[in-house]
Amino acid sequence: MSPSVAFGTDIDERTETAEQSSTGVLTAPDIPWNLVIWNDPVNLMSYVSYVFQSYFGYSESKAHKLMMEVHKKGRSIVAHGSKEQVEQHAVAMHGFGLWATVEKAASGNETPGKGGRQRG
Amino acid sequence: MRHPERAAASVAKAFKFGLKGITGYLEPAERDLLRGLLDDVISMLDSDARDNEDPLAALIGLDMDVKKPSDRALLRLLPNVLKDDDDGSLEFRQLTERSVRESKVGALRATAMGLDKDELVLTLEDATRWSMALNDVRLVLSERLDIRDEADAEHIHSMQDWSQAEDVESYLALVYNFTTWLQESLVQAMISARQAKS
Repeated sequence: MSPSVAFGTDIDERTETAEQSSTGVLTAPDIPWNLVIWNDPVNLMSYVSYVFQSYFGYSESKAHKLMMEVHKKGRSIVAHGSKEQVEQHAVAMHGFGLWATVEKAASGNETPGKGGRQRG
Repeated sequence: MRHPERAAASVAKAFKFGLKGITGYLEPAERDLLRGLLDDVISMLDSDARDNEDPLAALIGLDMDVKKPSDRALLRLLPNVLKDDDDGSLEFRQLTERSVRESKVGALRATAMGLDKDELVLTLEDATRWSMALNDVRLVLSERLDIRDEADAEHIHSMQDWSQAEDVESYLALVYNFTTWLQESLVQAMISARQAKS
């Protein structure tokens, strides 16, 4: 996990929604919903990684790691938050053409906090 | 997912990042092809527009008549938000599907309009819309080509020779590979543009 994410002036308009809704009031254990991205044979690895960087503001290395997890394990939790927050992310991901679902944190196999606490 | 090295097998680059930003050049025939593909996806996403819908519901973006798409390609563009819950996903569709469709159509239209110029000069925001539009085109083509797993994708990717285009499937495969190459080239230019900004 990257210790910090460089948030410069380069955040495009798309990132603003993510940023507003993910400004961390909740800490990982309190956050009950996951945003899951599923693998598919079509989406380009470079594109998926780019979307993780530009939308969530993740560092290149974190975005790459999550992308590889999607690719190799078939799915990855890339963010968590309240139901409303992850649903908003899911809408954005569908806009990008990524196959995203939301789920209650307890129903996933991954440990909450492992894959995608917002902004590293 | 597709690996960049595989997708970038072609020697030529459609897009590059330089002093003018992200620039690209496409042959007139390539632009015509792309325009047709974009229009196809636009009509898929637009086709359900209803004349007699509740104007208030339309205004606030609700769509109570929405259904899970029966067409697999459309379902790939507008997937269920809950993994094994059609009812819950449908509720979510009623609230959100219209806006997803609209943002997709917006990106597809902007890309189609951008094709009117010989030389393409894109801001990062333009390029983002282009990459979304190209991605949607590829998702639709992949369903028509029945690409289900990485092996299918490899098979389709191996078809690179336009003289092989003897039937609809091989033609579609070549078109798919062209759009893959185009998107990969664009995303690489976007990565360079982002790095230059930071």
